[in-house]
Amino acid sequence: MTNKFMDNKFILRFFWIVILGIIWQVIALSEVFNLTSFPRIETLLASLIKDILNGDIIIQTLYSLRLILKGLMFGLIISIILSGVSMISKVFEGFVDTIIAIAHPLPGISLLPLVILWMGIGERAIIFIIVHSVVWPLTLNLLAGFRAIPNIYKQIGKNYGLNSLKIIQYILVPASLPYFITGLKIGWARAWRAVISAEMVFGAAGNAGGLGWFIFKKRVFMDTSGLFGGLIVIILIGIMIEDLFFEKFEKMTIKKWGMSI
Amino acid sequence: MKKLRIKSIYVLLTIFVFSLLLNGCTSNNDTSKNKEIKIAEQYGLAYAPLQIMKDKKILEKNLPEGEVIWKQMGNTAAIREGMIANQVDVGFMAIPPFLIGWDKGMDWKIASGVSSMPIGLVTYKSEIKTIKDLTSKDRIALPQPGSIQHIMLSMASEKTFNDSRKFDNQLVTMAHPDGMNALLAKKDITAHFTSPPYIFKELEHEGFHKVLSGKEAMGKDFTFIIGVTTKAFHDKNSEGYKAFVESLKEAISFINKHPDKAADILAKEYDLPKKEVLKYITADGTVYSQEVNGLEDFADFMKRNDYITKSFKNKKEVLWEDVTDDK
Repeated sequence: MTNKFMDNKFILRFFWIVILGIIWQVIALSEVFNLTSFPRIETLLASLIKDILNGDIIIQTLYSLRLILKGLMFGLIISIILSGVSMISKVFEGFVDTIIAIAHPLPGISLLPLVILWMGIGERAIIFIIVHSVVWPLTLNLLAGFRAIPNIYKQIGKNYGLNSLKIIQYILVPASLPYFITGLKIGWARAWRAVISAEMVFGAAGNAGGLGWFIFKKRVFMDTSGLFGGLIVIILIGIMIEDLFFEKFEKMTIKKWGMSI
Repeated sequence: MKKLRIKSIYVLLTIFVFSLLLNGCTSNNDTSKNKEIKIAEQYGLAYAPLQIMKDKKILEKNLPEGEVIWKQMGNTAAIREGMIANQVDVGFMAIPPFLIGWDKGMDWKIASGVSSMPIGLVTYKSEIKTIKDLTSKDRIALPQPGSIQHIMLSMASEKTFNDSRKFDNQLVTMAHPDGMNALLAKKDITAHFTSPPYIFKELEHEGFHKVLSGKEAMGKDFTFIIGVTTKAFHDKNSEGYKAFVESLKEAISFINKHPDKAADILAKEYDLPKKEVLKYITADGTVYSQEVNGLEDFADFMKRNDYITKSFKNKKEVLWEDVTDDK
């Protein structure tokens, strides 16, 4: 039953991608837009394959992904600490609320000039921007998750004779998991945005630079089809993470436990 | 009754949105209303003739019925994109970005030279005397890959290391003022490839010195900024085109004949002391002229190192009629 559903979903996705591709091709062939700004699909794919074969795009994608993972990890740790602390103490809750109110509306990219002054233009600066864009939505979601747990769950746990640690392990964490996963999804998407925009401003931060730098280089050399290649890679990775990683994770946890459909 | 009202609101909304969409289509397309000239400029002393032209309303004088629209743009890529989208008729940039666009099929040619400038690579590290002393840890700030600054650095590395792309992964894209601040902070950026007035300001600081000049990299004098127009503008608005080239000529000869008066105007424009501006516009290596120099050298180098895929056989492919250049 579940297998069929999976197949269906992939077939559907594939179907829609093909339809969108056809629409794209028709527009490109009609030459309503300049071919240099709206290239045909075969040109796009050819340039993507070329960039894959000479290794450029792969190295730069891996570089960006590494930065994102680092940033996400730091962000996750900080979020867990912040939300945990504010669950324990009212005073800290006020602090966390205030800092979220201050920092959450600030787009990472608007902090760039400051970040450059504070920590220069290296990898650290990009990771700082990623952490900034991940931490606030993730903390908000974790807090919402904790707060949404009915008190009665805890009381049931106590009735079973569980100690505080066991209550956290068996009740609080699983019960807030749907919120946690949503937070992680938002954090992941935000991290992508942050890393691409930061790289487009900083240039090559490491030795080869990341995907944002790749796209920027394509822009300045007016290689529009190459630019689309970079975008396609971002889309593919996004779909892969969404469909494979998060889906699996949800199936293993909250769907199996009957918390979500 | 209530349902009906909601329905009618929906209908109205739909009509509203569609009319907006249609409206967008029509207003987007009236790009070359016969006598309009849309000019994109960038910031800096190399564009001084444009400031003069704007301030003294020279183009308005030469084209009485025309409407002149000035657009300040942040970088060359944006100007190029604006010209593809037909939002800009006349753009100013260095020769390499022009050639990249031409190579990618943009229908445009050079209308005039504007200026030559003493551009160069500046560092504060005393141990860096030539580009041979740059290590893989040094980060070099310049406006963007494919810019004239990048191409000159590549020319020098081709001559020195036989590898034009040696520093390609050590570049940091920064606008001139940001690059200058980063260099003066002596933190991550160890070298900055820049143009006047930034290069003069950096060199005023103690210990800051020039590692490489544009002339050394190129091996000869070259035109820094050129004026470029689209074929659509050149063909459909030939009156406007001629008036523009003529106005540029007047502005350039004004600067050359009356540097003092020009400095007055420019000092206001750049918010700099007049003495400083006068020093800059009469500095060694600063030349305002309509001649286009070094076109072939740039094209040969860029073709040889795969920055562009084709070169021109005849200069008429990249120059409009009556443009003077070094033969």
